[in-house]
Amino acid sequence: MIVRRLLIATLTLLVVGSCSRAVTDTSDVPDLPTVTVADFEAKLAALDRPAVVNVWASWCIPCRSEAPLLNTAHAAFGDQIEFIGVDVQDNQQDAKAFLVEFGLDFEHVFDRNRAIPNHYAGLGTPITFFFARGGELVRTHNGIIDERGLALGIDELLRLDS
Amino acid sequence: MEFTLLWASLTAVASMWVGTRLWPRGLPDHPSDRMVGAAAVGLLGGRLAAMLIQGTNPLTNPGDILIIRGGVHTATATLGAIIAYLWSVKGEIGYLDAVAPAAALGLAGWHGGCLWRSACLGTASDLPWAWADPGSPVTRHPVELYAALGLAVFAWWISQLPFRPLFRSGIALSSLAMMRLITEPLRLSLGGGPWGWYLAAVVIGLVAATLGSRALANRIPART
Repeated sequence: MIVRRLLIATLTLLVVGSCSRAVTDTSDVPDLPTVTVADFEAKLAALDRPAVVNVWASWCIPCRSEAPLLNTAHAAFGDQIEFIGVDVQDNQQDAKAFLVEFGLDFEHVFDRNRAIPNHYAGLGTPITFFFARGGELVRTHNGIIDERGLALGIDELLRLDS
Repeated sequence: MEFTLLWASLTAVASMWVGTRLWPRGLPDHPSDRMVGAAAVGLLGGRLAAMLIQGTNPLTNPGDILIIRGGVHTATATLGAIIAYLWSVKGEIGYLDAVAPAAALGLAGWHGGCLWRSACLGTASDLPWAWADPGSPVTRHPVELYAALGLAVFAWWISQLPFRPLFRSGIALSSLAMMRLITEPLRLSLGGGPWGWYLAAVVIGLVAATLGSRALANRIPART
């Protein structure tokens, strides 16, 4: 009986919670810059270190789950590796709310038509691309990435760069 | 792509099932069902804990709990699975000891399931059995296979231990955590891995196996 009540209470909380939506103040956050594939390639080529490029969208539930992992990776390796987010098929307002909610404080660009991931033959959302210094694509991870996968990709980049 | 995790889970379930057939002594009825149920409760509890630690509100983002790849808090998952299993056998600790070797073999299967999802590799190595991901020049330790092999050996060893309340289960908890501690330096992670939790599990397991086992010896009948 107690278990049934607990289950009902939990389900009620989940349903009520899912109906609500957090309102995030994004008035101070500038719009994400829109970039073309050519701009993006030039940007990667000009970098003096390897890069991890994460393709995300505010509507993508797996992206929400991997956002804390990207924050951890950025905190640990941000001085050796460039982290860039590519927001796809999204709108500026929702994208900025996502960035504020998860505190993703590395550089992000806006790519409404997902031209960048298409150019690098990435599938779905999220995607994580690993680029060596100079902009050469080394590794692509389609789908949500876990800690091991992210650590492996970063380790490969650092070894190639050493 | 994402279904590879399901294959690894199925490998774990199959290994648990094999464990219950290899070492059936003292098991409750439907042991595999109870173990799979307990593992599912542990997994969701561990995922919920990971979400809270990462700052994701489970009430505003309830769907995130299903994204297991986003992270699972190991200690909470272990505790959740043990409590759920104990609840399923109405708190009879003897059943915990009976199921310990099969649980260890199930965990071995989970680690061995890395083969399905191309997730076996750890730190770089030049040893003859090290291998590289396709397209990568860096050969690496197949650390998850080391863990799988070690856990399978531990499972057999635990199955040979005498039945005393909390003895086999305590040794099992210690052994599994010990295997993680041994393999952790070869594993790639962003933050160093939960060493503290593994050490705590080793100590708790040993205390349960020695002091707990002695204290309960005359109060709880062993399931043999």
